[in-house]
Amino acid sequence: MRQKTNYAVWIKGIVVQIGFVIAAIYIFYTSSSEWAVREHWGVLSTYTLLTIFSCFAPVRISNTILTVNNAVIFSGILLYGVWVGVWAAVIESLIIAFLVRFNPLKAIINIGQLLMTIWTVAFLKDWIEGFGTVSPIISDLFLAVVYWFVNLILCGLGISYFHQMTWARTVKMMAKGFTSTYLLLLILAGVGSRLVESYGPLTLIPMMIAFITISYVFHHYYDNLQRLQQKVEEVKSFNHNFLTTMAASIDARDRYTSGHSQRVAYWGREIARDIGLSERKVEDVYIGGILHDIGKIGIEDEILNKKGKLTPEEYDKIKQHTVIGYEIILQAGMFNELLPAIRSHHERIDGRGYPDGLAGDEIPLMARILAISDAFDAMVADRPYRKGLPVEEALQEIRRGSGTQFDPILAEHFIRIVQRLPYEELQSIIGMESIPQKQLQEAIR
Amino acid sequence: MLLDVIALSFLVALLRGGRIKEFPKFNQIKLLIVTILLQACAVFFPTIGGLFISIAYVFILAFLVFNREFEDMRIFLIGWFLNAIAIWSNNGKMPIDLVQAAKLPYDLEPVINGTNFKHSVLTESSNFPFLTDVIYMPSIIPRIISIGDIFIMLGAFLLVQRLMNKPISLLQLREGKSYATKN
Repeated sequence: MRQKTNYAVWIKGIVVQIGFVIAAIYIFYTSSSEWAVREHWGVLSTYTLLTIFSCFAPVRISNTILTVNNAVIFSGILLYGVWVGVWAAVIESLIIAFLVRFNPLKAIINIGQLLMTIWTVAFLKDWIEGFGTVSPIISDLFLAVVYWFVNLILCGLGISYFHQMTWARTVKMMAKGFTSTYLLLLILAGVGSRLVESYGPLTLIPMMIAFITISYVFHHYYDNLQRLQQKVEEVKSFNHNFLTTMAASIDARDRYTSGHSQRVAYWGREIARDIGLSERKVEDVYIGGILHDIGKIGIEDEILNKKGKLTPEEYDKIKQHTVIGYEIILQAGMFNELLPAIRSHHERIDGRGYPDGLAGDEIPLMARILAISDAFDAMVADRPYRKGLPVEEALQEIRRGSGTQFDPILAEHFIRIVQRLPYEELQSIIGMESIPQKQLQEAIR
Repeated sequence: MLLDVIALSFLVALLRGGRIKEFPKFNQIKLLIVTILLQACAVFFPTIGGLFISIAYVFILAFLVFNREFEDMRIFLIGWFLNAIAIWSNNGKMPIDLVQAAKLPYDLEPVINGTNFKHSVLTESSNFPFLTDVIYMPSIIPRIISIGDIFIMLGAFLLVQRLMNKPISLLQLREGKSYATKN
């Protein structure tokens, strides 16, 4: 396998470093003879001006800046042919080479891919014109798509070689980023070229104004978008801090169950993943696990930390923690999706649980998952007044409760998850006082 | 020769609120002095003037390279580089297109009989004709310019903005960040 990968990289290297360079030199050379023709000099100087203009009037889209150079090149190909496209590309490359840090190999490879794109589009244009019957609208649209596609594929090849990624992944990533704007620019270039063809070069003025306006609108649009994204990030980070504090305060409140919430969250997440829930739902289950006992904040210390057996009244009070937690989260107005987990994680499949006596499928899935995680952790964790049960026995208990206390399918999944884990890893999870905060933050990111 | 462009640039810079406070410090000013001396030599020895001009271009390019941290200098560099290709490949003189030059109100006699120290006549045998003086620029001062001159004018404009403490940054134009195709 490794051998094969090396082989592929090697071939890619040859194609990019030698193929692209040879293509660049060949296309440059064949075009330069066209530049020597006296009648072409006016066009060359016009396209020099256009290229300079477009180099310094970039269009900004979310995370990247797209120059309108490709539009200029494309219009050159449509109006005059491959030599104008090549000229504009060469001028653009010169500007880039002189203005940014210069890497000769990368520069020539980049111009190689651009020239091959230009050559392909010009070749197809001549081929379509050979039919004589194709409407310019259709052919321009087709050529715009070809330009985008060939550019994407060749560029992707070069980038994937230099950044050591797979070709397909690079192309996919690039296509996702800027396809719509790219095609929009090329189509505008096509329209502009046809206008210039019919009404003369003065039509460039309204076209330029259109470009500048588009650039301006995009600029503002993405500025606002960026600001909004920043705000969302802030809110998210606030939520994370809030949750971390919550989890810490729950655990601090009940000194016998240090780390309990996080272990329940951990097991809940494992079950949720195992039954194939979406990443978002898995995350919800995790946070639900963190917060499931939040209502214990409202239970008196004497009861919560009492050694020995609880009286029936005290036990009733403990049971209140589900409802108290529910009320707290409801009032907070955040994490509404976690309400069922907090209220119903002590419900039983047979309907004998609390606080609402729900049965079977009436109990929300998240609560059914957390019920198993909660019970398991309560059984195996060491408490100051007793040692935790061995894992096998705890699993036996879960098996016994399957169908009465626990959802049988989830219980089966859970038993499998635990049995799959190597002994040492299992012990380290059970013995964990509290999972580092970093992991919590990662989980809810 | 760029007087109108420079004057216009100063006007724009003034309108943008620019004032000269301090002069930017350029490196290796002596290279510029050497260039001027070489050009003067070309005037006095027109027969081997081409050689002096060719060498003068090496020094100008070197001066620009030493000052490349200024972005406007890099624009100059492109222009001078394109002009240098035309001059180096045509015996040290910039060929000028007589068809275009005929529109100018100047006497073209020295160019035609080869005594002009800087220009020669563009012919079929000239190399890189598209980089020579072939574009007629009607205003403000009528002249024939080359493609390289377009960059030099732009560079002059940007440089004047910098002198007036209102530099126009081209920093946005950066590989990777600026070019989607290279991202």
